[in-house]
Amino acid sequence: MNPLTRLRSSQSGALGILLLFGVVLVALAVSVKLQQCNVTQGGLPFFVNIAIQGLANGAIYALIALGYTMVYGIIELINFAHGDVFTLGAFFSLPLLGLFGLTEGKEFTIVTALLLLLVLVIVMALTGGVNVLIERVAYRPLRNSPRLAPLITAVGMSFILEGIMFLWRGPFNLHYPDILPATRVNLLGNAYVGIKDMVVVGVAIVLVIALSLFVNRSKLGKAMRATAQDRDASQLMGIDINRTIAATFFIGAVLAAAGGIIYGLYFNSVDFQLGFSAGLVAFTAAVFGGIGNIQGAALGGLIIGMLQAYNDGYCSSAWTRVLIFGILILVLVFRPSGLLGSRLGDKA
Amino acid sequence: MIGRRGLALGAGAIIALAACGSSGGGSSNKGTIKIGVELPESGKEASNGIPTLNGVKYAVQKQTTIKGFTIEINNLDDAVNGVHDAQKGAQNVQQFVSDSKVLGFVGPFNSAVAQAEIPVANAAHLTMISPANTNECLTKDLPAPECTFKPADLRPSGPNNYFRVAATDDFQGPAMADYAYDTLGLKKVAVASDNETYGKGIADSFSRELTKKGGDPTPRQDFDTKTTNSFKPFESSATAAGGLYFGGTDSNKVCIARQQMKSAGFNAPFFGGDGIVTAQCITDAADNVDNMYGTVAAADATQIPDAKSTIDDFKKNFSATTDFGAYTMPAYDCANILLDGISKAIDDAGGNMPTREQVRARVAQTKDFPGVLGKTSFDSNGDTSNKIISIYTIGAAPGLTGSTPKDWIWKAQVKF
Repeated sequence: MNPLTRLRSSQSGALGILLLFGVVLVALAVSVKLQQCNVTQGGLPFFVNIAIQGLANGAIYALIALGYTMVYGIIELINFAHGDVFTLGAFFSLPLLGLFGLTEGKEFTIVTALLLLLVLVIVMALTGGVNVLIERVAYRPLRNSPRLAPLITAVGMSFILEGIMFLWRGPFNLHYPDILPATRVNLLGNAYVGIKDMVVVGVAIVLVIALSLFVNRSKLGKAMRATAQDRDASQLMGIDINRTIAATFFIGAVLAAAGGIIYGLYFNSVDFQLGFSAGLVAFTAAVFGGIGNIQGAALGGLIIGMLQAYNDGYCSSAWTRVLIFGILILVLVFRPSGLLGSRLGDKA
Repeated sequence: MIGRRGLALGAGAIIALAACGSSGGGSSNKGTIKIGVELPESGKEASNGIPTLNGVKYAVQKQTTIKGFTIEINNLDDAVNGVHDAQKGAQNVQQFVSDSKVLGFVGPFNSAVAQAEIPVANAAHLTMISPANTNECLTKDLPAPECTFKPADLRPSGPNNYFRVAATDDFQGPAMADYAYDTLGLKKVAVASDNETYGKGIADSFSRELTKKGGDPTPRQDFDTKTTNSFKPFESSATAAGGLYFGGTDSNKVCIARQQMKSAGFNAPFFGGDGIVTAQCITDAADNVDNMYGTVAAADATQIPDAKSTIDDFKKNFSATTDFGAYTMPAYDCANILLDGISKAIDDAGGNMPTREQVRARVAQTKDFPGVLGKTSFDSNGDTSNKIISIYTIGAAPGLTGSTPKDWIWKAQVKF
């Protein structure tokens, strides 16, 4: 047994994690040197500002990554259309915001907050419905086909969704109303944390906890876990497989829709191809954390969001993806099942 | 969107009809000469490419035949997934080269695309005239790090085939630096770019000029906007500066950066190049459009008294507000210079179909061509003698109605 194989086989051990940590640190140091990063610029306030940006990015990635990981966990399909489901959430919410009179420049009151919550719920339901429909039309008929067939229809669904959104609103950057209050709290120097940042991170945390509770405590959650472990056995035990899988798609889309809305509220701009790059990064986050693992997806999203913010801030954003994927490769070499592992029991 | 498409189709039909009419009624038809148009025309770039394309369409509409030859447009789009693409541009030029009736083309729009296209066109002696390219490295031999390639590298197989009616970025950045420092009295201006040939080029030249005048162009950051859309940390670290110069294009989210300045607590003027002087930019900047300034490396046709009749006539034929853009009239001049070169080359060929080299030689000799923008001559590099930088700002547009009655309003011009 050569040393590398031995290390890899001890992946669950503390030694493996320690080694991975060391290798990643070395990789980061090399990257900082190669990119000639200016890590002293801006001092501590800049560092804090980037951390806040990273948290917000990470929260959005995490919400998308959960959908990838849940669907993969239960039917081992990489749902390439998921990134576009995220965009769809933002697109659905745009006319609704107008309908409820949530426009820019108004004072943010408790009524605004409640209306916003209402929009969130409606859009989650709508987007969830669309994703269930997608599953019914594009994936269910192919469930027993070779694994490549639904993968290809997933790519197709991605293009179809993008096409529909293109026809609906055109190719332009759409302005998303800036509704959340601009209030900011001064931390130190010119480092601020805004209500916006807190909302993004807060919504993500609440949803991730709710999802964990749902999967681990509810009856449907139990059915999901059972289906993920052994579909045929679950069916024999009387679990309605179709319903369980549809529910998984519904929940995945609900989270992505929430992600789409908070993306819009945070960045104030959406376009029809938004989900392509965001989806790619979120998928990476899911693999990073251990595909099929809910906590892993959230952690992966957070780490990638942070890496991105810091590399953008101190180094060159042109190299950010190289860095993210470089670290992903290292993680997969030393821990092939991702940071938190993708053991069946942990699957959604 | 649908309405706009309908109009574009309508305009196409009118041109087709006009072409049919004149070729039917013309004396002896010697065949067809095509002029190419190579611009980013789909996706987010439509706001750049379509008004520019309209300038060429309008020129051909007015001149459907030359000395017995029918003039047609061969129009190719270099946008891939809605964003201009240098490789696609080079493929398009390859397509022009393989069509023997194409004697020259108007385009491209983006400097990065031109860099890929010039060598392909050069090998075939195919004339290209750009209405909008402003990167100085395409025509001028400047040392690194300013230029990472030499003009001669792009023209390996023959004499210069590349011309432009726009001034170069080495004037666009400095013009804005002069305006910010002298007119607005700003000493410290933060600088950012979208990290592309064009955006980084104008940001660098802005920095150099501001430094030369005694100002301070810091802090500085370049963003790869394909992977990021968060400019806030940079902007909050720049609040001590009196303004932000952002080199780049609206399709690379530059104007979203303007919108984000509000939540970063950075209330200062915003400067940029011609890539932000668009309607999309006004939408993107949303409620933060005040105090935005953009340069265009060309004279503003609407500020030239002699051009008024041409523009009025153009707007009769292309009536939607989105039909006319900053580069419509420059493209119209490009097309007319090319058509003038073709006309002279037909004489050189004894009234027959000229070669591409004959057209190229004639365009290179262009001297004091009376265009809408003024008198254009090309120097040996292919640059125009008519170097005018216009400065625009966003203001209430008279006569414009709708939800955002704002537009880019001409403010001043700097001639070099």
